[in-house]
Amino acid sequence: MTSLDPVNATPTGLPVSSEALSAEPVAESGRAGAATWRVFRRDPLGIISLGLLLLLVVVALAAPLLASYPASYGTDVLRPPSLQYLFGTDSLGRDVLGEVIWGTQQSLLVAVAASIIAIAIGTLVAVIGAYFKRLDVFISVIVDLTLSLPVLPLMILIAALIGPSTATIIGVVAAFSWPEVTRLVRSQALTVVNLPYVDAARLMTTSPVWIIGRHIIPAVTPVIVVSVVVTASRAVLSAAGLAFLGLGDPTTWSWGRILYEAQQSGAMSSAWWLTLFPSIAILLLVLSATLLSIAYNDARNPRNRAR
Amino acid sequence: MSRLFFVLPRLGRGVFTIWFAVTVTFLLLRLLPGDPALAVASPNMTEEARAALLTQYGLDQPLIVQYGLYMWQMLQGNFGVSFTQSVPVMDVLLQRLPWTLLLTFTALVITVLVGIPLGVLAASRRGKVLDKIIQVIGVTGQSIFVPSIGVLLLFVFGLSLKWLPIGGAYDTDAYGMDWYGSVARHLILPAVSLMLIQLGSYVLTMRSTLIEALGEDYVTLAKANGLPYRRILWKHALRNALLPTTTLIGLQLGFLVGGAVLTETVFAYPGIGRGIYEAVTQLDFPVLQGAFLLLAITVVVANMLTDIVYGFLDPRVKTS
Amino acid sequence: MHNHSTRRGTMRTGIRRGRALTLVTAAAAITFVLSACAPSAPEASSGPVEAGNDTLTIATTTDVVNYNPLIGNSRSDYWVTNLMYPHLLSIADDGKKEPQLATEWGYVDELTGYYEIRDDMTWSDGEPVTAEDVAWTMNAVKKDAPSGTFYGQLANFVSAEAVSDTRVEITLASPDTSIVEEIGFWGNVVPQHVFEKAESVATFANNGSDGGWVSAGPYLLTDVQVGQSYSMDRVDEYPLVEGGTPVAAKVVYRVFPDVNTEILALQSGEVDVIANALPPAQVEQLKATDGITVEEVVGLGYAHMTYNMTNPDLAKTEVRQALAHAVDYDAIRTVVLQGQAVSTGSSPLMPVLSDYYDKSIKEYDFDVDKSRELMESAGYTADASGNFPVSFRLIYSLQDSVTSQWAQLVKDSAAEAGITIELQGTERNTYLAQTNDGDYDIYAGNFAIMDDPVTNFTLSYLPGGAINYTLVDDPELNALIAKAAVTADSDEKISIMRDAAKIVHDEVYDNIMYTQNLYFAHSSKWEGFVTKPSELLSIVNPISVASAHKTAAQ
Repeated sequence: MTSLDPVNATPTGLPVSSEALSAEPVAESGRAGAATWRVFRRDPLGIISLGLLLLLVVVALAAPLLASYPASYGTDVLRPPSLQYLFGTDSLGRDVLGEVIWGTQQSLLVAVAASIIAIAIGTLVAVIGAYFKRLDVFISVIVDLTLSLPVLPLMILIAALIGPSTATIIGVVAAFSWPEVTRLVRSQALTVVNLPYVDAARLMTTSPVWIIGRHIIPAVTPVIVVSVVVTASRAVLSAAGLAFLGLGDPTTWSWGRILYEAQQSGAMSSAWWLTLFPSIAILLLVLSATLLSIAYNDARNPRNRAR
Repeated sequence: MSRLFFVLPRLGRGVFTIWFAVTVTFLLLRLLPGDPALAVASPNMTEEARAALLTQYGLDQPLIVQYGLYMWQMLQGNFGVSFTQSVPVMDVLLQRLPWTLLLTFTALVITVLVGIPLGVLAASRRGKVLDKIIQVIGVTGQSIFVPSIGVLLLFVFGLSLKWLPIGGAYDTDAYGMDWYGSVARHLILPAVSLMLIQLGSYVLTMRSTLIEALGEDYVTLAKANGLPYRRILWKHALRNALLPTTTLIGLQLGFLVGGAVLTETVFAYPGIGRGIYEAVTQLDFPVLQGAFLLLAITVVVANMLTDIVYGFLDPRVKTS
Repeated sequence: MHNHSTRRGTMRTGIRRGRALTLVTAAAAITFVLSACAPSAPEASSGPVEAGNDTLTIATTTDVVNYNPLIGNSRSDYWVTNLMYPHLLSIADDGKKEPQLATEWGYVDELTGYYEIRDDMTWSDGEPVTAEDVAWTMNAVKKDAPSGTFYGQLANFVSAEAVSDTRVEITLASPDTSIVEEIGFWGNVVPQHVFEKAESVATFANNGSDGGWVSAGPYLLTDVQVGQSYSMDRVDEYPLVEGGTPVAAKVVYRVFPDVNTEILALQSGEVDVIANALPPAQVEQLKATDGITVEEVVGLGYAHMTYNMTNPDLAKTEVRQALAHAVDYDAIRTVVLQGQAVSTGSSPLMPVLSDYYDKSIKEYDFDVDKSRELMESAGYTADASGNFPVSFRLIYSLQDSVTSQWAQLVKDSAAEAGITIELQGTERNTYLAQTNDGDYDIYAGNFAIMDDPVTNFTLSYLPGGAINYTLVDDPELNALIAKAAVTADSDEKISIMRDAAKIVHDEVYDNIMYTQNLYFAHSSKWEGFVTKPSELLSIVNPISVASAHKTAAQ
């Protein structure tokens, strides 16, 4: 399997065929991990992406050190970028740089929380399905049906009915991301379940929990790693889209909120800096996450190593 | 995929999928908070008038009764009457659906036309700089926040250069052949935006399956037989690589029909995604139910079309 | 749904012509669907020479939801139907009523009101507009109770009768000196011969499915593309406009859901007018743009906060006063509203209602020390960090971008006074539901038109009033409002209302923050617009649209 596809973190959260991800049914051992790293670090795109992601994490964590929390208003309204305001000011005279920095925190939080929830549910369901064959039929029907639902319109519907908050956004994004994870992980887990060492394990113990924890989860870990990155970057775009439609958390700074307020004040075309900087932040995060997962997949693939 | 699901005849699977989507929508609307009577009421409306509105909408009935009634009416081709507009739901939606289909279909065609050659190019230059550049372009496209690029495109091509119109689906004063020209010009910017965000999936899928196909035995064999590389690439490997791309089209077409809300918003395109957003803000339950029904039908039909195309591409599917 | 194997197969795998065929078929199907709506050119317009052949294109952010003016409650509904269904009365910048369909109006006795209407108006199908239409409309609304502002004005209305072709008399349940003007201003008149076919005016869609629309305004709706455009043609005779015929041959309302796209379309010349009020921060920008003219329209409503008195803390006058003194009103008006708002002196009698306005009522000053003193005198003690042990939840609608912005300022300034405010901005329906259930501590919102103080006070401050968001029940205030409602002498009425306003101000039953003046942009290629107060009327009221014409240079 090559670099492909997990990666189709399409902005609207498109469900995309992901069979191609099913990696070689081999648990990633420590030795394989080291080999992956050796290949990975020779890939400049992968290293740059990793660096960018780390930078964003640092910005999020160090936000209080980098900029003061955006004030409720300022007197310099809609100023273009200058030495005083590197990213300009918005229609209430607030510093856009500060908003972007503090927005990183919120945007990463949504991304990480949504993907952790989606991964936890998705993996659990997939692994259970793979192990208990009787449940598998039911689970895969549910997954298929859920994947055929129009995701973005349903997100809009739910967010509007429940009311906008950070928790709503996280919940809604997670609720529509887990089936994709299940699908990815399931195909991988199925190949593992039928391997001789799992059969052997079944003879030795009666505890499914032990087998799942000891053999199946480690085998699907690489798929999960890729899923985390993909789901997280998808969550950022979904959250920004919902915020843009007025369904984001209005009281916490996020990149989506900056864009939403720019839209509401009709300033998107005249005050380009209001749109440009949060858009670049979104672009950087999604782009680097996606390229990172491509590079990781490439590096993990023995065929690539042999090359 | 699950055997149970797969043995169901295609049509049966389609109907089941539609039923699922419709039921999920119905339950979400009824079980989540939100009172449609308030959305249509004016501030100085009395409590009794509000209760009367709920009765008028049938929302005072038990859930199961509402559901049974809804299903029964739907089977008879009655999709209900809009809460806010007092007209049959499909009158509202069927005006919007063709535009969404046109936009989605056009976007898909240009995406495939651009994406497949790019994917082939990347695969044939695997690991080279060009390969990396194409990958980055593809991934950049799908990392873009649609409204930002939309406003930029409108600003450049609509306002500064005045090459293309700013919004809508056609000029209201264009008739006959001019009208088709006007439809085409209004289509360009939203379709290009949709293309940009989808392109990556196609490029990457094409690239990776092609790389894999190039490694297959039969290609090696062809090489050994002395076939030129270019010919192997285009004729043999590409055919096989088209299969996953076809699957992708089926999945995305269905999805895009509802997923273009942001594009439709920025470009003022009269599609169904925007219609759903407006129905949400008005809590117009019947319109929402109808819209999700249409989306589900579109997904199912798109998948069936994909199946057919897939059958043409891959003879093994036909025999099995 | 699909999990087709992607195993690579044999070299025999071939692409059949079928693939191309499928694509062609799909394309053909779509083309067919669309071609069904390809319009053919209309016959040349045969309007009088002095009227132009131009099309006036107006942008709005939402679709028309209802073509029935008795139901509609969205802006676009009002704008489009207002060009077809006349009102009895119009309104001046100071809130005084002006003739429209009615030429004279008033009271016969305490329980009878009357309107005299013009005799030269006709529906576009040739039927005359008569007193019968007017009376039938009012009675139908009373009977069928459509959701909308019109019905809300009919509380004291019993019935209407056409006593001649041009005179309507209405019977009241109890004396009410505001109702004639309020019904006259808020109610449209619809054609009886069209609407009476419907079972109920509350459910009549009036969507033109039965042979199109019938109009007595300057324009007639002829073509609708949902989500895109509403095309209206000129009617030949409209006596209310100078010259008797509307100038522009066509009016097209175009939908731009995003205000940014709307502004781009105005700048590029694709639309001539933006019907929505400009966001405050865009006004200066557009004033400075070549080719765009910005018109100012006086506000006739207000933005306010109310404090829910069923909350035991907020039931204390000092607490409400403390909150009122912890708001930086000047900052809100200069920054959020860019100086485009005027203080009402924290009184519901806005300066724009010049007869009623009372200069002696002054705005609450922004003074956090005073707030702290008030909190202490109410029996609260601040903790070590200076915070009082109270927390209030303030609700507002996210669709209301101006309120969303100042809510943040209110929170921050209250924090300076040691009072915690928790913001809860929600989607409009949730907000309405919370408002309706009294599910808030502080409510923030605004009203577009508060033209009549007595009606406004009745709804806002009497127990059970539909917009009594303070949930106040003050016997002294109740008595004053009841007295004003039956007082016919206008000086006496004004004096009573000023006393009532003073109570509202001093007890902080309502915290009126400002009246916003609105700005509307149109292309400089057009002129002759006639402004009316509020976003509902602004420069897209029927007279204005019918009078607008291209500048001479064109």
